[in-house]
Amino acid sequence: MTRPTQDPPAGPARPSKDAVRVLAVGGEGGAGPLQSLRQWAADLKIDLEWAADLPRATRFLAGGRWDLVLAALGERSDEELTWWVDALRGAPGSPRLIALADRPSMGLALRAEKLGVLDVLALPLEREALANVLGRVRSAATEVALPLPPVEAEAQGHYALVGQSPAMLEVYKLMARVAHSTATVLIQGESGTGKEVVARTIHQHGPAAVGPFVAVNCAAIPENLLESELFGHEKGAFTGAVARKIGRFEQAGGGTLFLDEIADMSLALQAKILRAVQEREIERVGGGESIPVTVRLIAATNRDLQEAIAQGRFREDLYYRLAVVTIQLPRLADRGEDLLLLVAYFARQFGERYGKRIEGLSDRALELLRNHQWVGNVRELRNVIERAAIVSTDATLRTEHLPDELRAEEPGVPERAIRGGGGGLPTLAEAEARHIARVLAHTGGQIGAAADVLGIHRNTLTRKMKEYGL
Amino acid sequence: MRVEQALRLLPSLEALMPLRGLLLSSARPDERVRWGSGGPYLTVGKREVEPGELTRRMGPVLAVVAEHIAALYGAYVEALERQERGDAPGAVTALVGAGRLEERVGRPTQAQAWYEVALALAEALQDRRPEVETLLALGHVCLALGQYAEGARHYQRALVLSEAEFDQAGAVDASVGLGNAAFERAEWSGAQAWYARALRLTEANGDRLRLGRIEHRLGLLARRQGDHAAAGDHLRRARECLEVLGAGREMACVLDAQGELDAALGRPGPAAGAFREALAWVRRDEPDPGGGLDVAIRFHLAELLLDTGRLLEAEEEMRRAEQLAITSNQTRGLVQIYTLLGTLRGRQGDETGFVFFEQAIALCRALDGPPVDEARVYHAYGLFRQSYGGPDEARAYLERAREIFRSLGVDAEVERVEAELHALSA
Repeated sequence: MTRPTQDPPAGPARPSKDAVRVLAVGGEGGAGPLQSLRQWAADLKIDLEWAADLPRATRFLAGGRWDLVLAALGERSDEELTWWVDALRGAPGSPRLIALADRPSMGLALRAEKLGVLDVLALPLEREALANVLGRVRSAATEVALPLPPVEAEAQGHYALVGQSPAMLEVYKLMARVAHSTATVLIQGESGTGKEVVARTIHQHGPAAVGPFVAVNCAAIPENLLESELFGHEKGAFTGAVARKIGRFEQAGGGTLFLDEIADMSLALQAKILRAVQEREIERVGGGESIPVTVRLIAATNRDLQEAIAQGRFREDLYYRLAVVTIQLPRLADRGEDLLLLVAYFARQFGERYGKRIEGLSDRALELLRNHQWVGNVRELRNVIERAAIVSTDATLRTEHLPDELRAEEPGVPERAIRGGGGGLPTLAEAEARHIARVLAHTGGQIGAAADVLGIHRNTLTRKMKEYGL
Repeated sequence: MRVEQALRLLPSLEALMPLRGLLLSSARPDERVRWGSGGPYLTVGKREVEPGELTRRMGPVLAVVAEHIAALYGAYVEALERQERGDAPGAVTALVGAGRLEERVGRPTQAQAWYEVALALAEALQDRRPEVETLLALGHVCLALGQYAEGARHYQRALVLSEAEFDQAGAVDASVGLGNAAFERAEWSGAQAWYARALRLTEANGDRLRLGRIEHRLGLLARRQGDHAAAGDHLRRARECLEVLGAGREMACVLDAQGELDAALGRPGPAAGAFREALAWVRRDEPDPGGGLDVAIRFHLAELLLDTGRLLEAEEEMRRAEQLAITSNQTRGLVQIYTLLGTLRGRQGDETGFVFFEQAIALCRALDGPPVDEARVYHAYGLFRQSYGGPDEARAYLERAREIFRSLGVDAEVERVEAELHALSA
């Protein structure tokens, strides 16, 4: 069933029913895995194709649909793994990767897990290990489509609030109470919980709705430009002030100014905001004139402002000016069945955008979504569904449409023992390595922060990282 | 600490450039920021850097710096020894070698200084081949620095000398260099003439690598001139020459150009395929990720996705290119990526996208890159501002772009920007 060729055909040769379509890359020669694969192909029901090198593999991938890619990694296994994950992203059929390596290290196995690689198998390839992975691939093909629930009619548009969970009902009640006043509102919640959507809704239902809604993302704008962005500047006030600029406070006149990520502002700028809030007037950078401003202010943050005050990073007087009413948004994980409603809402939204009719979600995909941690809350979910909508080919979103990182979390797949033995249970060292890797991922690779979370000295962490090849 | 804060504490000294590079390549995004509302606007300046991480990674960087300096010192001593032995051509070769080392680590200005010293020595020799070699190297580095007229002058001299010496390879390289200089200044007919001349000379000796390279350049030129059929033919011939040689880097360049051609012809599928295969060829030949070519191909892939309205995928690709550029210290690539991210935000109707242009300008200034990069950022920034009702700012940025393009002698770009300024006034 194997045909090493120069010019790839438009897919695997003679695909047979129920066969798993496998593209093996490299490894031709005496010690390579190809010889074994050829012998097992019929028995394991795989349609096998072989590409001699990366460029040819890329042509094969573009030319047909594959279920699995078996790639032999060389000396730079970490970088090669990343390359393969990237190369397979968006390939027809969303093939999964099995990395083959001589004596795979713990670091490689953990990295593979993080990247959503289906498995890392040691060379020489063992038939049982491959059969096991193929079994997982076949069982994943039995997904049942569930219809997406209807979403409330008012949940339309780009900034809709979707959800019926008790936690969100409390938020709605508080919003209804503050919307009709002009009170300053502080919205708190983790990243991606929908703070700007809440701010826009308050604006739309309040007296400031006749005016504009102007949002400023304090975390996005470089520190040296934020002041002029907020208050404007006169021509020639500083290098780069090529013309007079009207700031966001003035732009929001008669409406609402939404200051997002307010905790990211410097203390000096906080003092200027305080003055603007207290005295209702501002001065443009490089201008001596006081300009009156009438705006409703809504601020938001994902940080604990009380803690920031205690650390001297946030002004207490500004906090009390902003937190006249505080709305706390729940994490997606605390919103129960809202997840499904949000999936339905986003699937419909992106289905329309990309000209697709998406009506269902598979049972396994739903399970994956329910089990995911959602560090980025609704924003992360929105991203996942948009990506799924882009790659979906029919009316149902399935696991193959989800990012590799999520697919790697599939329930029923036990945490893989890296070095084998022990009936598949990990050793203490493996569990420790896995936990360290998880914490490092959480802190974005920052060793100091990871050491704090783990409660160990950074030197100890550095040593362990070296030991485990992380 | 944020990179933008850390950079403010770092004086702009040439000796500290590796430290600056280390700082940028050590920067990591805070996972919390990634999903925060500031996440979509994350630039290298907003990434976090840990002093401890710098300390940990400083050793290997210092070792590389020491190795580089040692190689330069060695090249200099070798030049002295050869000069003392009366082997002036050998001394020139050693000095040119030092320049090439500088180019390899991304220091074109320093490379230029070495080549100029080598040229002064070579000019006094009876044997003109060292002078040709030096002039070709100088021409190349001038083009990289955006000094197109200067580069053309060196290539012209190299051509005259190599023809006098019957050095056909030198004449071919000089002709291609002259074509490249004309190409950069959008002088299409001049470029065509030089490439055609190089092609004629090469066809006679059957040097497939050079043939493939020239066909590639002709393909790029034909595409710029709007002759897509001819571009396709040249690129196909380039592939035929290069694939049999297994010349990975050259194949990647040709496939990258093929991807751009397919994109221009409205064939996004084949274009994406060509870009992906180009990446595979780079990977095959250069296992170290993050070479400039890798970043450039990803940039083109992102442009394709942006042009076809696949904004989410375009952004993902740009972010991958950004990560690669940051970790491998490809700051020129970063400038291009941030300019494109700003354009992407503009397409999304997001005014806060201006932060990307600001970051790109800051990088241009901090890294003393070629002025043409800065001009391109100002140009795109002007168009962005134009979309958001800031005509005064738009005009100021476009005028700045025009000024830089004019100083570089890129008349076609000057005309393009002038047309945009005219439209702004109308």
